[in-house]
Order: sequence, then structure tokens, then C-alpha cells
Amino acid sequence: MGYEALDFYDVDSLLTDEERMIRDAVRDWVDESVIPKIENACREGVFLDEWRQELGGMGILGAPLKGYGCPGLSYTAYGVICRELERGDSGIRSFASVQGSLAMYPIWDFGSEEQKEKYLPKMASGELIGCFGLTEPDYGSNPGDMVTKAEEDDDHYILNGAKMWITNGTIADLAVVWAKLDGVIRGFIVEKGDEGFSAPEMKGKHSLKASVTSELVFQDCKIPKDRILPGVKGLRGPFSCLNNARFGISWGAVGAAQSCFDSARSYAMSRIQFDHPIAAYQLVQNKLAWMLREITKAQLLAYHLGVKKDSGEWVPEHISLAKMNNVDIALEIARVARDIHGANGILDEYPVMRHMANLESVKTYEGTHDIHNLILGRHITGIQAFTREA
Amino acid sequence: MKVAVLIKQVPDTTARISISGGLVDEGSISKWTISPYDEYALEAALKLQSESGAKVVAITLGPQRSSKSLIDAAAVGADELMHVLYEGDTGSLSLQSALAAAVRKSEADIVLAGKQAADTNSGSTAPGVAQMLGLPCVGLVSEVKVVDGNFVATRSTSSGMERVSVNGPCVFAFDKGDEELRRPNVRGIMMAKKKPIESLSPADLGVSMEDGGVNVESVGYPPEKPAGQTFQGAASASEVVTKLREEANVI
Ligand SMILES: Cc1cc2nc3c(=O)[nH]c(=O)nc-3n(C[C@H](O)[C@H](O)[C@H](O)COP(=O)(O)OP(=O)(O)OC[C@H]3O[C@@H](n4cnc5c(N)ncnc54)[C@H](O)[C@@H]3O)c2cc1C
Repeated sequence: MGYEALDFYDVDSLLTDEERMIRDAVRDWVDESVIPKIENACREGVFLDEWRQELGGMGILGAPLKGYGCPGLSYTAYGVICRELERGDSGIRSFASVQGSLAMYPIWDFGSEEQKEKYLPKMASGELIGCFGLTEPDYGSNPGDMVTKAEEDDDHYILNGAKMWITNGTIADLAVVWAKLDGVIRGFIVEKGDEGFSAPEMKGKHSLKASVTSELVFQDCKIPKDRILPGVKGLRGPFSCLNNARFGISWGAVGAAQSCFDSARSYAMSRIQFDHPIAAYQLVQNKLAWMLREITKAQLLAYHLGVKKDSGEWVPEHISLAKMNNVDIALEIARVARDIHGANGILDEYPVMRHMANLESVKTYEGTHDIHNLILGRHITGIQAFTREA
Repeated sequence: MKVAVLIKQVPDTTARISISGGLVDEGSISKWTISPYDEYALEAALKLQSESGAKVVAITLGPQRSSKSLIDAAAVGADELMHVLYEGDTGSLSLQSALAAAVRKSEADIVLAGKQAADTNSGSTAPGVAQMLGLPCVGLVSEVKVVDGNFVATRSTSSGMERVSVNGPCVFAFDKGDEELRRPNVRGIMMAKKKPIESLSPADLGVSMEDGGVNVESVGYPPEKPAGQTFQGAASASEVVTKLREEANVI
């Protein structure tokens, strides 16, 4: 029996016809090209290059961006795409999030005309891969204190410093790197092969194994002057990218949760213990009913956030709530699904443990769960609690 | 050159089917899709489009919901869409007459269709339409190419592959081929939504759906599989062999 996406309230009936067609196309692609290959890719710790090509071929990279060869879809469509990709694996969705929201978006919003024309069409088609360098070894939740810096040198900038935990880093053709120029955070485009730039892969992950994670190292890295993003200064630059990526994650987490629910439901129906399917026992039904409840709420949250994003009536706190909640419930659903599968739950024959391990990263990146709590706390009280001074 | 592709919308092969009142309960079907053999016919038509500049007209007959299959066909590249809108049950004879009339109206030179539909499995549509149009029909085709003005079809036979040449209009009934089916991309989906669908009733085509010829009386579930049998020990080998030969017919 194929995958059946739980949609108890028929939330997808609120989508447009195109959004549903895009959903079906991406869902079919995940069934054919991700599900049969994902466990092996995880075992080997690789992101398959064919995924890059096929995602580009489907025309879904940089989904909500308009012009420059980008798809020009709604934010809701972008959310649907993230949900379907993450039903397959968070690593595939991460690739698309980073490419679209973290690498294409800043060029699209803050780049020069030449930069847009040079990079965006080829990034939309998947020909060029991008990555986003914000986090540093010593600055995760507080990127504002980053130490990577840029200095002017004639007609060049010289970058020095290091970024860590950078998705797509090693396979990227270009990196959007945030660094301080005269103490102010600015965005720079660094290309693979630029002098003084290297991107070694980080190994040994127990999570997001089918996604490439890397360090970016800049040692007197020399880039031409026209690689600075002219349109933005300060943390607003990286944070506007993160808003879009977090929006996608709030949908993506629903996909991972739907996958875990689908597996848990069918396992519970067929696994016989004490002469009956375990689904016949109240404790197991309670778990399934709880999953259904949380997934339905998360779907409605994601959908309504999509409507707000498309109408422009949103604040970053709306996105924080959805990212935090949906990843949180997805992770808990993955854990409960693992429990329902008993010992089988730890095998790669079922997707649940993979989703569970992936979601641990998703809980941390793009603003940790608690950073979003602090964002909401500040919104409620007007008092920031990120730091103990001031 | 114009190629008509006959497309039927059927329940997805993974959809659960339930029966009420002797007929399939359509309301319970969660997902509809283009019948798989028709998808191979469509793929072949799109090949003729890219290789020989053919125009592809996708034609379906069915209720309102089946227009989705035309939009799906447009999303992968069909140029024109024709919907013979009919909400009731169709007998195979009236169905074939209506499709033949639609093909005539489309002015297509050749017709591509699946060898059978995934729901009814009757396999009568392609030869029936050919009969009504007075055209030859080549079945179990996996590929059609234009070679020196002729249509050359590859078809599988019990002994291998056969190449058949047809020097004029023809109906080709498609089997599953080796071709990878193209998947819709976002651009195709966005354009498909804007493509007009020519919607016609059977009456517009001068066809009456009254005399269906062959009609489905009722459908039922396949019989329950009998419970498996267990044998133990070398002594039962000859009994197992006999059963495999005479009951299961597998050796
Ligand atoms: C697989 C993966 C891929 C990633 N990809 C990218 C990428 O592409 N680009 C990029 O720039 N970054 C990326 N990251 C980095 C990610 O954004 C950071 O890991 C994240 O911002 C958290 O930073 P940290 O790991 O340094 O944790 P820390 O900031 O050290 O946090 C550790 C713990 O302390 C808590 N904490 C921190 N500050 C406070 C506070 N003020 N009050 C209360 N609790 C607090 C946190 O909630 C957390 O629980 C990736 C990370 C992972 C795991």
C-alpha cells in the first residue's frame, strides 16, 4: 500500500489546483526517486547528485521567487513542496531550503542586477548549488557577535574567519557568506575555487546523513568588489533569509510527521501481539489519536501561516511559533512512532528512526527551539531574555 | 501532423476500492489518475511532438472530474485538450462512437491509446474506435516513430520484438514500454492551468449514449484467497510437486 498523507481536516482542499498539482508531482518524485534510495544514501553519507538535477528539472528551486528564471510560486506552494520533500527526508528538504531561501533569496532581494542575472537562473535550474554561511564555531544562537571579517584591499575584499555547520558547503558552487566589514554585517558571494577559500566536509553525523554539512574556511580569501550584496546591512540580511527558510521548515516538519504516522498506523494494524493487532489496544490508539491531533493542528498552523505570508501580513514571531511547534511535535511523533514499531522501529526498513534523528537537527538549526521561545517571550513581554546584560 | 491520445481517468492503482449496490463506489476513491497504459501512449505522442513536430490533442470521455487528467496531460506538454463530458455510465459501443467522433472532430492523423484501462481491463476501446473510424489498429505497441512518411511501431510478440510499418492513419494501442515517463515540472503545471479545454457533450458530437452495446452489469470482489498449506519433511516432496503442477500450475 502506498503512502497516504494524513489530512484529517482535508486542509489540502484549501490549496489551489496548481498547488495540488505541484504537491502530486513532488510526492510522486519522492516516491520514485527518494524513498528507494534514501537509506543507502544515509548509510553512505551522501546527497545524490541526481537529486540536484531532478529538483532543478522539476523547476521547484527558489519556489516563491519571481523573475530571473525562478518559479514565481506562492509561499504556500513553497510550503507544500517542503512538506512533500521532508516526507521523504529532512536532508532533501534542507537542500531545497538552503538553495532557495538561504542562497537564492539574498541574491534576489539584496543582490545587484548583474549578480541576479549571473546566478539566479542557474541556481533555479540546479546547475549551480549555493550555501549560506552564518554560523561560526563560537557563535551559533548569537550570530551578531560573529568574528569573520572582510577588509577592503584595492579592488578586492579580503575575508578571514571560519563558518561551521554549513549545509551544502562542500558541494556548493557559491557561498553567501555573512561577515563584518568595518564592524557591520554584510553579505558576500564567495565562489568555489576563490583564492584562500576551502570547504571541508564535516563527518560523523548521526542526523541529516543524506545532507552535506561543511566548514567554510577563509584564509586571506580574495574576492572581487562586485561580490558584496549591495542591498543590505546588519543582521536584517541573514534574518530575512532565515524567515523564509523557517517558514518552509514549519511545513516540512508536517511531512516528516505524516510519514511517521503513516508508518506507525500501518504497523500497528498488522503487528499481532497477545492475539490481536496492537492497534486494537487503547494505549496504542491513544498514541495514534494524539499524533492525528498534533498533525492536524500543525497543518492548520502551516496553512494559515502560508496565507499570511502570501498576503504579506506576517511578523517574524508568527514564523517562530510555527517552526518551533511543528518541529517539536514532529520530533515527538517520530519518537512515539518508533516506540509503536517496537524493535523494528530501529531498523532502516522503516522511516521513523531516520526522521527522528533528522528532526534533532531541525530542532536546532534555523533558530533552536528555545531561541524561538525567547523570540516569543520578548514579543509577549517586551523584555529580551537572550542575554543577561542590559 | 496531429496525434490524438485517448486518456481515461481511473482510480489510482493504490486506491482502496469499495463496492456498493453491485457497482464501484466512486465517492470512496481518494485518488484518480490517468490510466497507466494511456500514460505510455501520451509519452509516445509527446515523443512524436518533439521529434516530428506533431501536435498532440488529448481526448477524454468522462464526468467533470476527469478534466483533471487533461490538465495533467497538458502539464507534460499536450497542445490541445478535448473533453467529452458525460456523467453517466457508458457502454463500450457508445463510448467508442463518441471517442471516434471526437477524434474525427480533432482532425488527428493517428490515434494513440492504452491497450486497456486499469479499471475495467476490457481492452476494447482502441480496436473499437479503429473500427468506427475505419482505420487499422496495431496492438501491444511500445513505440511509434515516423520513418520516411510511414508510422513504424515496435511491438512485443511472444518470440521477441516486431517492427510494423503503417502507411496511413491508424490506431495504436500501447503496452507498457521501456520509456521513462516524463514528469510535470512547475512551468508545465502553471501553463496547463491556462490551457483551454474544449468541452463537448456526446450530443454535440452527434452521438447517442443510449445504446451502449456492452454494459457492465455488476462488479464484485475477487474471491478470498484460500488459506496457505504447510508441508513438512522430505516425505511430502512428491505431494508438493503434484500440487504445484496440478493445482498451482506453476511447474
Ligand atoms: C545539520 C545542521 C545544518 C546546519 N546548516 C547551517 C547552514 O547551512 N548555515 C548556517 O549558518 N548554520 C547552519 N547550522 C547551524 C545552526 O544554525 C546552529 O547550530 C544553531 O543556530 C544553534 O547554534 P549552536 O549549535 O552553536 O548552539 P548554541 O547556540 O550553542 O546553543 C546550545 C543550546 O543553548 C541554548 N541557548 C543558546 N542561547 C541561549 C539563551 N540566550 N537562552 C537560553 N538558551 C540558549 C540553545 O537553545 C541550545 O539548546 C546547521 C546546523 C546543523 C546541525
